[in-house]
Amino acid sequence: MIEISHLTKKFGEYTAVEDLNLTVKTGEFFGLLGPNGAGKTTTISMMSTVLLPTEGKILIDGKPLTRKNSEEKRKLSVITQEYSMRQDMTMDEVMEYQGRLYFMKKKDIKEKTEKLLEFSGLIDHRRKIVRHLSGGMKRKLMICRALMIDPEILLLDEPTAGMDALSRRQMWNLLRQVNGKDMTIILTTHYMEEAQSLCDRVALINKGRLDAVDSPQKMIESLGAFAVDVFQENMTKSRFFTTRDDAIEYIRNLEGKASMRDTNLEDVFVERIGRSLMKK
Amino acid sequence: MGIITVLWEKWTEFKRDFYKITLAAMVSPLMYLIIFGMGIQTTSHGEPYLNFLIPGIVAMSTMTGSFSAVAQNMSVQRLYEKALDQVMVSPTPLWQFIVGQIIGGSLRGIYAAVMILILVYPIHTGLIFNALSFGIMFLNGLVFSTIALTLSFLAKSYTDAPRFTSYIIMPMSFLCNTFFSTDQMPSGFREVVNILPLSQASAMIRGIAHGQAPGAFGILVLVSYLVIFSLISVNFIYKKKNL
Repeated sequence: MIEISHLTKKFGEYTAVEDLNLTVKTGEFFGLLGPNGAGKTTTISMMSTVLLPTEGKILIDGKPLTRKNSEEKRKLSVITQEYSMRQDMTMDEVMEYQGRLYFMKKKDIKEKTEKLLEFSGLIDHRRKIVRHLSGGMKRKLMICRALMIDPEILLLDEPTAGMDALSRRQMWNLLRQVNGKDMTIILTTHYMEEAQSLCDRVALINKGRLDAVDSPQKMIESLGAFAVDVFQENMTKSRFFTTRDDAIEYIRNLEGKASMRDTNLEDVFVERIGRSLMKK
Repeated sequence: MGIITVLWEKWTEFKRDFYKITLAAMVSPLMYLIIFGMGIQTTSHGEPYLNFLIPGIVAMSTMTGSFSAVAQNMSVQRLYEKALDQVMVSPTPLWQFIVGQIIGGSLRGIYAAVMILILVYPIHTGLIFNALSFGIMFLNGLVFSTIALTLSFLAKSYTDAPRFTSYIIMPMSFLCNTFFSTDQMPSGFREVVNILPLSQASAMIRGIAHGQAPGAFGILVLVSYLVIFSLISVNFIYKKKNL
């Protein structure tokens, strides 16, 4: 279990994360959603000890996560937003370096590397230098590297950014598969359908503060399970209804063009976060 | 274990860039040897100037080799590639990462010095380079790797590394007992230059080359730099809030 309590991070006068309190259960697939600059990456960076909090603490299974605490760090693996790896190494070397940093046996490193590169379709490129790989391949390699060590907790900061639709689906399947093995996953993403499809619960963060935490389904239900998009004056406005009948009744009384659909997490995001941004 | 991992990383880097590293280690010292040692033929302390110059160039090569092996690489890893993040999140104790970097850097410095010794071998100078000389070279390499590590942690941009070379390495190369003895410097300035690590490393390697034992003061100076900069590096990596 991960417990984040009163987590605050300031960069000079700027507060990136403010008094964040969260609990993520073991085996949970948890999403951190928010607009650009909301503090998602800063939170992930503090959870990977790259940044140290200004205030507050992070506990993993009741023990504080610090740079000195190798035992707790062993449970963690991170996929950062940037391609944070040696650009002058080959794929094989990147994987071996990771294995060595986590004290894996040479035989296990070799076997795991084969398996993961094969699974992700990178095996034929294993001797290529990272610098020469495409963005999508680098992203896949980072995922392979993170899974190399069978982490108990996987922190994913925009893991599918830059991937094509097929690779993204492939990655979703992989993440579901590893989550099924009781791996706790914390995901930040801009793809709302990704969060809705994968996450057991999501937290909406805005300006460094926690706005809401719940399952995607409950968030959607609280807004209204049915959405009607109305096209007026070159703009699309959405209205939300609890029942299908209410939505149909609303459309009947409309004069303009409209369509009905299921509400999704993006609607929740736009309604909760978008409005507050627009007010500003 | 973590130290071995870093040394493995340094070894893969060395294998990959073998020719670049070897050439870079040889070009400037070779130029100095040709220009000052062979081109401008002179004597120093009653013997060929080359006998004075070679130990100085060897000490300077351990400095530049170690410094460049760590400073440039670490700045790029920390600020550009963000590859240091991979180490930060791993269970490898960070002090072991630092020790590995320092030893790896020093070995690169020794490699640069060995290249020079191979180049000057045919000259038959009669200078002595033994285990003790290599011990001093290793210690000097440790000092400059640690300085490089500290500076790369303090760097704001990965382009700062070449600036550190201009501000620190180049002045030391010329002032610290490499090309001329610090004894010829004016009093006051001489004392300051004498407590710089390269001055002591050059003096000790030169002393050993002429059959003398290294002085305790020189070793004390080098060890002091090593301890101070190691503590700064360790403190940085464990305590710095925004790496």
